[in-house]
This record gives sequence, structure tokens and C-alpha cells, in this order.
Amino acid sequence: MRYGGEGRTRLLLIILIVTALFLITLDLRGVAVLDGARQGTQTILSPFQRAGNYILTPVKNFVNDVTHLGRTRNQIEKLRADNAKLKADLINRKNADAQLKQLESILDLAGTAGYKVVNAKVISQGSSQSFSQTVTIDIGSNAGIKKNMTVLSQTGIAGVVKDVFPTTALVMLATDPSFKIGVRIAGTQQIGILSGRGSRSGSLQLLDNLTTVKVGDVLLARGSVANRPFVPGVPVGYVTAVDNSAGEIAQSGTVRYYTNFGGLGVLAVVVAASSTNPGDALVPPKPTPTPIPTVTVYVTPSPSPTE
Amino acid sequence: MLTRQISLSAPIFLFIFLFQEAIVNQFKLPGGGFSLFVIFALVWAVISTPEIAALTGFGAGILMDMSGGASGPVGQWTLIMIIICYGVSFLGYGDENINGNPIGVVFFVVVASLFTAVLFLASSALLGVTTGSFGQTLLTLLGNSLWTLVLTPIVLPVFSFMHNFVFETRTVL
Repeated sequence: MRYGGEGRTRLLLIILIVTALFLITLDLRGVAVLDGARQGTQTILSPFQRAGNYILTPVKNFVNDVTHLGRTRNQIEKLRADNAKLKADLINRKNADAQLKQLESILDLAGTAGYKVVNAKVISQGSSQSFSQTVTIDIGSNAGIKKNMTVLSQTGIAGVVKDVFPTTALVMLATDPSFKIGVRIAGTQQIGILSGRGSRSGSLQLLDNLTTVKVGDVLLARGSVANRPFVPGVPVGYVTAVDNSAGEIAQSGTVRYYTNFGGLGVLAVVVAASSTNPGDALVPPKPTPTPIPTVTVYVTPSPSPTE
Repeated sequence: MLTRQISLSAPIFLFIFLFQEAIVNQFKLPGGGFSLFVIFALVWAVISTPEIAALTGFGAGILMDMSGGASGPVGQWTLIMIIICYGVSFLGYGDENINGNPIGVVFFVVVASLFTAVLFLASSALLGVTTGSFGQTLLTLLGNSLWTLVLTPIVLPVFSFMHNFVFETRTVL
């Protein structure tokens, strides 16, 4: 049975609808009273909403986790992947920064001497099982690299190109026991031969028995015929110990290489030397010791009390 | 009599409205969630006379218009709720298969809820209120109807009891 629809109900319905339309019209015309009413209602509701939010936060999190279980898991996986990528990027960035620093130093060194160099990244360390000290760089004959070219690090000599492949090259490090380089002492110009010993130290053998060497002397590459395998003037190392044994024909000593072979990242292969010998221009500056401040305290005994 | 009914109904409506705003609205549920307040108003209207239903729609609509989340002008929800509440009550009044039967009430509430949303969309379009993409709107309509279908049977006994308490009717769903 349908509702009969008395006149009173219809009248009420019309009044209510008209009221609603009236409200809509007022609101669309921007009457401030209605905005104020809505704002007032929200002001009253907001403490309840805040309380509800505070109380229901754990429940909300639970419901959210349940309803978005798959999405949450995917999000966690995505965040994990992003995190791993960012970590890798950070490591790469640190690596790149270090390599950039090395490259800057190498270019400074090569630029001072006027060498033409090709930069290379170390892509592999040689196996120590072969008892040789080598690294593989990422450039080869395609980049103009040839056998017996000098290889520079940021601070000095790193080694010499031992083998060349189209896209890579094998560099014998200066620490290799079979590595030998003709050196001269900066300043005095005495000459000798430096041999690798498998560590950062090398053995120096002077050629002239009348000359002397002392601790701290800087060694530079003497250079080879046609600048291969060694271009002249490259810093090699400095003397850390001198052997004055009576039985020796000429003096010998121990040399510490400038290059840190444990941290090789970027190297430069000298493809052409300068037309003039750089002489001692590449001798690295001696480190200046940091002054240690001293404090002097004067203690004056107080006069003893007199009675 | 009417004064007693209004004085009892008003706090109940206010409480449900407060519950909707402070508790239910805290949850971001899939499919757009549900409005307990709309369900309550529709249930109230279905089991009331058309006269009471129209007043119910008016009161409920005013409260919904006052909500901070209302996007349209004040009066939009009022108009919609008056029409819907009066309509469902008018169609079901006196028919025991509808307002005397829980299944009938649930069916009417779900359909009325869907029509409420559609009417809101239509009036919003007329009033120039942006309501989102068609796909999202469709999803919300569907989700809202499903939520209503699920929740109405659960809350119907409580709301019916309240209605019985206010109007002193003997039938409790």
C-alpha cells in the first residue's frame, strides 16, 4: 500500500525543498552566514576529529596495512630496491669523487710537464698468484696505447704498459720485482737504477761510486730513448734509507714510491712526452709540518703565611 | 508527540554524525568507503512515515552540508537527502514487504544510497563542482554500494531499535 500523501506532508516537502534551494542560492551568492555556520561546525568537530585520530591511529595503521597488504609489500620491496640503488649510487659517487681527485692531480702533473696523456680507469687488479704486480686499465690500442708507455698516477710514476689489447692494457706496476727504471736525484742529477721489490719500497742502486745519496733525496725518471718506456722528469719517490756498506762499489738505498699502489683508481698513459725535458719541475713540494702550539705555564709559589 | 520525537531523534542524529566525522572518516577504506550517517538516515527514512522521512532528510542533509568535507554549496546535501528520504519512505510506506522486512529495508537502503550518490554527482555537475574522473567516480559508486550492502544488515537492528525507542512502534527489525 502506497502512502496516501496528505496535503500536510506535501506542503512540508515543498517547504523543505524550497528551503534547501534557498540555502543553495544563498551559498552560491556568497552569504557569509552560511560559511560561518560551516566553519563553526568544523570548529566544534575538530577536537573530536583530533581525538578520534589520536585514538584510532594504531587501528588505522592496522586496517591500512590489511587493506593494502599487497600494495604495502610492493612498496616495501620498491623502497628496499630504491635504498639499495641509492647506496650503490652513494658508493659510486664516493668512488667517482676519489677518481676525480686522482684525475685532477694526474692532469696537473702531466700539464706541468707538458705530457700528452690518455686517462684510464683501473678495471682489474692483477692476481698476486703470478707474483707480479699488474693492473688492467680500460683503454688499449684503440685509444692509441702502445707497449712500453709510461703510466702515471696522481703523484708520480705508476708503471709501464706491459701488454696492449684493443680495449684494455696491462700495466706493470713500479712495485713489480721485474720493474726497473733509470732515475736521477733531483738537484744533484746523480743517476741510478731503481728496482721494484713487491712493495711500496724500491731498491736504488747508484751508478757512480763517487756520488752520494742521502735520506730525503727525490728521485725523478731519467727518461728513455724516444721516451719509451719512460718519459723524463716523472717523480718516482724519495730516499728513505741509505746503505753505506764498505763492500759496495756504489751507494745503494731504499726508496719509497710517491704512488700509493693500494688505491689506484685512475691512471694516465703518456702517449707523447714534451719536446723539452721538464727537469726538476715536477718535484713535489715537501710537506710542511703543522706547527704544534706550546703552552708555557709559570708557577709562582704564594708567600707563606706569617704569624 | 512530535516534540518528543524530535528531541530524542536530534541527539541520536548528532551522535551518529559525530561518530561519522570523528571515527569513520579516519579510515581510508578501499572503494571510497562508506557513510554510516547516510545509511542511518536512509534506514530511519525507510521505516518512517514520509513526513518524518522528509524531516529526517532535511536534518541529515543540513548536518552533512555543515561538514567540513562537503564540497558543494550549503543546501546541496539537504536537497538530495530530502528527495531521497521522502522517496524511499513514500515508495515503501505501508508495504510490509519493504519496511517490515529486513531484506527489503537493506535493498531499499542500498538502492537509495546509490541514488543519493548519483543525485549528488548530477547536482554537482549542475552546480559546477568538480567530482573527479569517470572511472574513479564509477569505482566510488560501486564501492560505496557494496559497503552499504555489507554494513546495513549489521547496523540495521541497532538503528531499528533506536527508531522503535523514539517512535514507540512495536515492530523491531
